[in-house]
Amino acid sequence: MNGITDTVLLMLEGTETTLEIFVITLVAALPLGLLASLGRISKLKPLSRLIEFYIWLMRGTPLMLQLLFVYFALPMAGIMLPDIGAALLAFILNYAAYFAEIFRAGIQGVSRGQYEAARTLGMTYGQTMRRIVIPQMIRHVLPPVSNETINLVKDTSLVYILAMNDLLRVARTIVQREFDMTPFVIAAIFYLAMTFVLTWGFKKLEAYYGKYDM
Amino acid sequence: MGDEQEIMVRLHQIHKTFGSNEVLNGIDLEVKKGEVLAIIGPSGSGKSTTLRCMNRLEEVDSGSIEIEGEFLAEENGEGVTEYADSKTSRRLLAHMGMVFQQFNLFPHMTVMQNLLEAPIHVKKQSADEVLPLAEELLRKVGLYDKRDSYPSRLSGGQQQRVAIARALAMDPDIMLFDEPTSALDPELTGEVLKTMRELAEDHMTMVVVTHEMAFAREVAHHVIFMADGGIIEEGAPDKLFSDPEEERTKAFLQNML
Ligand SMILES: Nc1ncnc2c1ncn2[C@@H]1O[C@H](COP(=O)(O)OP(=O)(O)OP(=O)(O)O)[C@@H](O)[C@H]1O
Ligand SMILES: [Mg+2]
Repeated sequence: MNGITDTVLLMLEGTETTLEIFVITLVAALPLGLLASLGRISKLKPLSRLIEFYIWLMRGTPLMLQLLFVYFALPMAGIMLPDIGAALLAFILNYAAYFAEIFRAGIQGVSRGQYEAARTLGMTYGQTMRRIVIPQMIRHVLPPVSNETINLVKDTSLVYILAMNDLLRVARTIVQREFDMTPFVIAAIFYLAMTFVLTWGFKKLEAYYGKYDM
Repeated sequence: MGDEQEIMVRLHQIHKTFGSNEVLNGIDLEVKKGEVLAIIGPSGSGKSTTLRCMNRLEEVDSGSIEIEGEFLAEENGEGVTEYADSKTSRRLLAHMGMVFQQFNLFPHMTVMQNLLEAPIHVKKQSADEVLPLAEELLRKVGLYDKRDSYPSRLSGGQQQRVAIARALAMDPDIMLFDEPTSALDPELTGEVLKTMRELAEDHMTMVVVTHEMAFAREVAHHVIFMADGGIIEEGAPDKLFSDPEEERTKAFLQNML
């Protein structure tokens, strides 16, 4: 009798893959997105143009296509990555582009007066960005970043086409084998639990960063 | 006193255009040590731009700028204005503090953090070193009990006094004010003007762009009236306010009453 416990245990393994993709993508795409946003607003025109092109490419094509492209193109170019590496590369590049646009909007929402005040106090551009602009930007971008993060939880299920055993693929395998819909329901509960925790976490963050504009 | 007073800021033949709009058409002025210079004039006459050229928030098209006897911008042989290298520029601009119409406090920092930010991160002073000075400045502007508040919790008048203290924490020789009370409710201007008056009594060199004629008349040593990007008339406040020479000055002052 393999009851519901076995099913859940099997699915926990799938959840591990899902979480791995989620966490690594987030941890890499956030700083990369920040760098890209700084490059995008840079006065160095070639750099700014290049990043504009990158963002356009990433946001203008389906993530699914990017996943497949990386997965098949890299081996053809002689680059051998484990499956998860290829998936992560696509996810990180894609999400960094979205974060870059969010951060850019957030940076541009900081008033000119802040830059001028920093400048008259003798701060360099780097100090102004690091100590004045970015902390204020973070506060403004928390809601859209929260949105994207929740999207990422769900987008992880796209790796299913790369034959990786993530939560959704494990669920489907069991469903097909046992003719029982319970794994789909469990998968839904797992996804909901993750988004619940994230929503809660972002609420806390917003409260923390909101302490100065009550 | 008789002895030659040191010139803190000298503008010579400053020209500045924005696009095709000539905003300053040859400004000459001097600010002496310990002097309060008030700049008055109608909206759009170039008062803010003049002030912002002094601390390089705007760059001039031509002319020269001297800060405490050193060139920030200088006309070379061919009559082209060149700015000092960034190190010199930084050093000269460190002599000047600025107070803005919109306060521009850092909203994510407490009052005390606003004061400590630049001394610690720009001047590389230690917190122990700056803290007593910052506390003294907050007492001076009457906001010591607000040291741990965020700016959004303060009234406009309180925010502006913090902004003044923040600029003073860098120990400047010259303070620039761009309409420091124009964004305030009328009942809050008094407290800011009082702080500025006390600063003047401490012999701070000040350049104040203002619409507060009573303040200019009472506190300034020298008043400049600007219109259309030029200086129309200047002089001691008593003379300029009670017996102006130029028609435009008369018309402007009549309007202000
Ligand atoms: N950054 C800018 N770009 C384009 N035009 C500008 C800029 N700053 C100022 N101007 C123009 O320059 C002229 C002078 O502006 P300035 O702000 O110096 O006037 P002001 O005397 O300070 O006026 P106010 O009393 O309204 O503050 C105005 O016509 C203004 O529109
Ligand atoms: Mg102005």
